This record gives sequence, structure tokens and C-alpha cells, in this order.
Amino acid sequence: MDISGADLVRAAAFIGAGIAMGLGAIGPGVGEGFVGGKACEAIGRNPEEAGLLTRTMLVAQAVAESTGIYSLVVALLLIFVV
Amino acid sequence: MENIGYMPRWIFDIAGFHIVLNKETLIMTWIVMAFWILFSLLATKSTKMVPNPLQSTAEILIATWDDLVKDSLGLTDRRYFAFICTIFLLFWVSNLIGIIPFLSEPTKDINTTLSLGVVGFIVAHYSGIKFKGIKTYLKEYCEPIFFMMPLNVIGELSKVVSISFRLFGNIMGGSIIILVVSYLVYSLVLPPFLYGFFGLFVGTIQAFVFTMLSLVYISVQIR
Repeated sequence: MDISGADLVRAAAFIGAGIAMGLGAIGPGVGEGFVGGKACEAIGRNPEEAGLLTRTMLVAQAVAESTGIYSLVVALLLIFVV
Repeated sequence: MENIGYMPRWIFDIAGFHIVLNKETLIMTWIVMAFWILFSLLATKSTKMVPNPLQSTAEILIATWDDLVKDSLGLTDRRYFAFICTIFLLFWVSNLIGIIPFLSEPTKDINTTLSLGVVGFIVAHYSGIKFKGIKTYLKEYCEPIFFMMPLNVIGELSKVVSISFRLFGNIMGGSIIILVVSYLVYSLVLPPFLYGFFGLFVGTIQAFVFTMLSLVYISVQIR
């Protein structure tokens, strides 16, 4: 069994998808954890604003998540398109 | 496992145009719309002071979004309420429909999310021009100095990409994870919980986030 150029490209695409997803998940993980922790602190300080704080926290976390989603899209493209 | 990226298509030529329609997306979107039309008809069939369950569900949904829109826009009339509420209801059921067997989410297709993102973008910028006037609107692109204009324009355009890719990536990634894990465990025990998390929880949150961001973009433009 010999390995041709197309197989190497496939292998490189899979490795690239793994690296993109793994490195791209670091930033959103740190960011979302930070937002969640700060929201918990704020709810601890004034619990009557919990609804508003939870809503704001969810939106902020979704915004922080977007780079992770970009890397997911890149990984999907590498796996299924290349 | 092999059919992850596969989309069934209708391909035909009309008057020299090559038209490709994603069959599944179209049918599922019509199912979602039929669901909401049916729901609205049943909920408003006999409105009373003491509501039946359907009517109170509709009242909760409408009142929540009415308050949210009023809080974020600061307008006295309800001119954006219908648009915002419609986006939420459409995407909510679109994300949730995947938990029913043989149905798939229309938001798994990038065309759905990107088109609604572009609609939100156009509404935001049209209302920006209408509220502030064309001169103030154009002047905001030259903030703080004139040379920053390309950066501001790209910043505005990247909002569309980010808002639509976020919804698409979440739903598509969730459905792929469900497929892969179901394949690994032979559809034993785990899939219901995965459907609960990726279908119900993430679907609701992402529909809410898409709608809130559209609302925020409008409110940034009109203030």
C-alpha cells in the first residue's frame, strides 16, 4: 500500500481540523468562564436583578463564543470540503 | 455516518436560470410556519378574560418580547415588535424541531440563517437612516477620523457573518455531535440527553441570542 498525494492532503486536513478546533476552543472557554463568574458575583451582590443579569450574561457568552464557532466552521470545512 | 454534509436538492432550469433549492430546508421551514399559524389560530379562537392554556402561552410569549423590545429600544410604539418576535418564534421552533424523529432543523442550512441575518442588517441600517437622517448616518462611518471608514464598514459587515455563522455553527455542530455519539454508543442511553442539551437548551439560547443581537443592532442604529 503506497500513500499518494491526495491521501496526504486528506491527512493534513484532518490534523488541521483537530488543531483548529482544539486551539479555537481555548479563547471562548476562558471568556465564557470569566463572564459566568462575574455574573455570579453580581447576582450574589444584588439577587433581585437576577433575571436581567442572566439575560445579559447569556448574550455576552454567545458573543464570546463566536470565535469558537468560527473554528468549528473551519474544522467542518476542512473535514467535509477539502 | 456518510451523509453528514448531504443536502437533498431540487435542481431545475427556468428561463436560462439554473435554480438549486434545498428540499429539506424548504419543507421544514414550511412545517415551522404551519405550526405557528395553527398555534395562533387555536390560541385566538376564543379569547376570554380567564384564558385557556394555549391563550396564556401566547400571552406570555408576546408580553415577554413586548417588554424586551420596549426596554432596549425606548420607543413608545410597537413598530419593531412584530419583526423581532417573528424572528424569535421562527428560529425557536426551527431549532427545536430536530428533536422530533425524521425532521431536521432548517437552521442547519447556512442559507436560512444568513438570509435572516441580512434581513436584520437591512432593517437596522434602514431605521438608522430614517431616525438619524442620511447625513448623521454617513458621518458615523468617519468616526473618529476619515481614514477609519473602511474599518467601520468591514466592522458592520462582519456583524452579519458573525450572527448567522453563530446560529448555523451551534445547530450544525450539535446535530453532528448527536449523530457521531449515537453511532458510537449504538443509540443506547445517551441520545435522549444529548437531544435535551443540544436541541432544547442550546436551541432556545441560540434563538434568543440571535434575536437579542438583532435587537441590539437596531437599538445601536436608532440611538
